[in-house]
Order: sequence, then C-alpha cells, then structure tokens
Amino acid sequence: MEHNTEEILRTEQLAFEYQSGRPVLQKLSLSIYQGEKIAVMGSNGAGKSTFFLNLNGVLWPKEGRIVYRGKQIGKKDLNYLRRHVGFVFQDADNQIIASSVQAEVAFGPLNLKMPKEEVRQRVTQALEYMDLLEYRDRPPHYLSGGEKKRVSIADIIAMKPEIILFDEPTAALDPLSGNMLEEALEKLSGEGKTLLISTHDVDFAYRWAERVLVFDRGELIADGGTLEVFRQEKVLEQAHLKKPELLTVYETLLERNLISKDSYPRQAKELAEALIS
Amino acid sequence: MKLQNFHSRRRRCLIHESESGRSSFPAAGQSGSRHFAPGVGSMDYYASQSGLRKWNDGYKVAAACTALLLCLVLNRPEISAAVFISMGIVNVRANLVPLRDYIGFLKIPIAFLALGSVAIACGISAEPLGDYRIWLHWRYLYLTREGIRQAMELFFKAMGSVSAMYFLALSTSAGQLAGVLRKAHVPKIIVELMNMIYRFIFILTKVQKSMKIAAVSRLGYMDFKTSCRSFGQTGGNLFLLSLRKADTYYDAMVSRGYEGEFFFWEEEKPVKFWQAGILALYVLGLLFLYFLVK
Repeated sequence: MEHNTEEILRTEQLAFEYQSGRPVLQKLSLSIYQGEKIAVMGSNGAGKSTFFLNLNGVLWPKEGRIVYRGKQIGKKDLNYLRRHVGFVFQDADNQIIASSVQAEVAFGPLNLKMPKEEVRQRVTQALEYMDLLEYRDRPPHYLSGGEKKRVSIADIIAMKPEIILFDEPTAALDPLSGNMLEEALEKLSGEGKTLLISTHDVDFAYRWAERVLVFDRGELIADGGTLEVFRQEKVLEQAHLKKPELLTVYETLLERNLISKDSYPRQAKELAEALIS
Repeated sequence: MKLQNFHSRRRRCLIHESESGRSSFPAAGQSGSRHFAPGVGSMDYYASQSGLRKWNDGYKVAAACTALLLCLVLNRPEISAAVFISMGIVNVRANLVPLRDYIGFLKIPIAFLALGSVAIACGISAEPLGDYRIWLHWRYLYLTREGIRQAMELFFKAMGSVSAMYFLALSTSAGQLAGVLRKAHVPKIIVELMNMIYRFIFILTKVQKSMKIAAVSRLGYMDFKTSCRSFGQTGGNLFLLSLRKADTYYDAMVSRGYEGEFFFWEEEKPVKFWQAGILALYVLGLLFLYFLVK
C-alpha cells in the first residue's frame, strides 16, 4: 500500500506471551500511518486485544520494539506512549472508575497532571463530542449500556491521543448506539485521528475500514487494503471470517457483467447507485 | 458539532426539566433498560437525583452532623421530634424521595427501636411492681411511668438521629462523601479505597444478579439444598471473577496514565450565603424550641 501521510507508529518483530512457551503474538512488524482507518480482525484468542495492550504500553513486549514518531519506546517512555495512544476497552464497566460521568472523563487528563482549567475545558469538549453534557453529574452505574460506551469513548477523547484503539466497540450495542458509534468514528477520522478497531463484524469492517489486519493465532496473516484482504479466500478461511455480504453481491454481479468493474461499493446505497448508472 | 439526530428531542425535554429546578434524572420511560438498572430506588440512587446534589457536600455533612449533635446533646424528646419531622420534610421535598419510599427506609430503624423500647419500658417480676401491670399467672408484666418516659425519649432521640443521617445518605453519594473526607485530610488510602469499593459494589452486585438469574433459570434455586449449592457456587465464581475484573480494571487505569495515585475530579460547589443562612436559622429555631420547652 502506498501512504501519502506520515508514519506514526511502527512495531518491529513484536512478540508477547503471558506464560512462557505460549506465544500470544509473534514477529509482528507493521507501520501505522496518520489518519488511517484500520480494522483488526481474527477469531477469539487470535491476539487482537493483546496487540492493542502492547501498542498502548500496558503490556511490555517480550521481544521486538515499538517506535512512536521515530522514538523507540523504552520502559520509561510508557506513559508517553499511553498519552498518545488511547484505548477504549471492550466492556465499559471495566474501564469506568469514577463515581460521576464528569469525574470519569477527567480521570485521564488529571493523570496527565494538567492544570484544572485545561481539564475542565477538555472534559466539557469530550462530553459535548459524545453528546453527554447533560449526563455530567450522573453516576455511571445508572447509565444504559450504550451511554456507558459513549462515556468510555469520551474518556479517551479527553486525553486527545493521536491514535485510538477500540476493542470490539460494536459488541453488545443496540442499533441506535451502533449508529451513534459509527458517526463518532467518522467524526474522529475527519479530524485526522488514526483509528484501529478490532471487530468480528465483517460487514462493518468492509463498510468502514480502509485497511484490514487479520490475525490468526498470534500471527499477522494479512495486511492490506480492505478489498484486497477480503478477496483473499485463503485468508478468510484461515481466520474463519465470512465474506462481507456486499462484496459477495458485488462479485456475483461482476461475474455476470451487471456492474462496472471499477466501482467498489462499500454501502448498500452505493451499490444501488452503481447498478442504476 | 454535536452528533446529529441523536436523542435530540429527548435532550430538549431533559434540559427543560432541569431548568424548572426539578431532577433531570429520568426515573422511568427514558430508556427501557433503566427500569432494570441496578439499585434504582436505593439510597444511592436517590442521592444521585437529589435536588440538593448541586449543594456543597461539606455543607451537607456539616448540616447533618449539626442536626445529629443537637438531637443528642440537647436530649429533649421535643427537639428530637422536631428534627425527625423537619428532616423528613427535607428528605421528601428537597431530596425528592417519594414519601412511600422514605417511609420504607424508616421502617427498619422503627422496627428495631420499637422492640428496644418495649424492652426498656417493660419489666417482669414476681411482686406487683410498677404503675401498670398484668398478671400472667406466673409473673407480673409491669410498666413504670419512668420507664415509659425513658423509652419514648430514646425512641424520639434515635429516630431524630436516624433521620438526620438519612438526610446525609439521601443527599450525598459515597463518592462525594469520599471527597469531603479527602478535604478533611483523612488518609489517602482510606479515601481511595472508599472510591474503589463504592464503584466495585455496583459492578459486583450487577454480576451477582445476572449469575443468580442464570442459576434460577436453570432451576438452581428450586429447593433449599440446590439454593445453598447455587449460592455457594455463585459466591466462589464471584470471587474469581472479581480477581479477573480487578486485573482488567488495572489495565484500563494504567492505559489512562494511572501511576499509583488517584486524582479524582471534584466539582467546586461553593456554599452560598443563603444556604448558610438556612442552616443558621434551623439551629437557632431548634435552640429556641429548647429554651421554650425547658
């Protein structure tokens, strides 16, 4: 893939294991560029979350190294990495710590030792961003699942990281919250944030991502443009992934010459338009 | 830019509600899941939606403690009754606890006190003692005027004190209380633990509830024996689960820059002059009553 933008994060031969002799990540080398929309796919236990925890500096790799903006991350720079790479956890209940929404969102900025005024400003901004302003004083344990998810995203937005990692954000969300999440993702990438999302939802990945990483038992088995990866039957089979519905429809239409070759519809609407024209 | 078309109508009605000075906390109807949210109707829930939640927390602690102290120090049933009634009015009107629920909260201490007072007022003797007595064919059950007076005093004193503490519990959540303690220079470790425990209680009760429902749906509570077994297993599971949760929790905290010390945001809520005035008037009123009945 060609990249017009700057490289932000690079991993070199990254390896990690929780118990010795049982590698969870193996020889992972990849570069992440500014503003990319990356879907990280693979079955449960393939190493997606562990990969994220390594990128975020929560786990320390056993081998290999992480380079952020040309700076190799040593053990003392972990907070530097955490500050620039945000991580939205899968279960908001595992992330939310404070006893009011406002205090919760302020937790990150306060850890960064920011002055109070700056913290206040960032919290207000992040709450506004996720449309949570009127939930400010509420305790998080009386919010619904979708609202908690939004709080957990606002948590990270308030820290203003360059890269945001989402661990299966679409899991356990109702359609309304799901739509809201996708709007928020669109908005974030519109602002030049780099987003990595781990997901099992191939249709979502096909619709949203520009680049797809596929993990299988700790190894990166595919890394490329969305269409490119989803057309590799072998990769899909190895990682037990389904082909996106839309791609199947598109390929069938293409076989019968019903659709132009250079249109790659990512959404049902685009497919309909391509068919009509 | 706000996220478009998301609950915009709902938001408007919420803002409207809060403008009219009422709670902006939707009790029901806002979202289906809220009906089943854990702990709705609990003291903590009412504290979170209290009309006084924007008042200074330290002030609320001071007010509750003053009422409690006056109750105990002045030691007159009239004062205690006045505190009981006034705190009841505050809890229902200002803390927005429905009267029915408030009475429900009071039932427990009333039950304890009623039994305790009976024990103080009554005596059993073989001789015909006391001012009133019943012959139980073996011993006398008797009452003395002094005993009745003592029991009444104790009852009112305890109820006044309890309602003063209820005022605190129904207006200030444990998280806010931790903030007050921190300002009072209580050791950090205690305040941090308080915050963590407060948050974890809700997570654990939620997990426990869902595990119990899962067990019930598989007939895990069909008779006494299975109930005991299911309860034990749920407990054991909960322990393992909480260890694991603590792990992920720690990861999440570290990923947001936690370095061994908590910094929590506390909203500054300065005490307003008129609020201090209300408290002063309240204390003066009670003192006045004291001299009146003395």
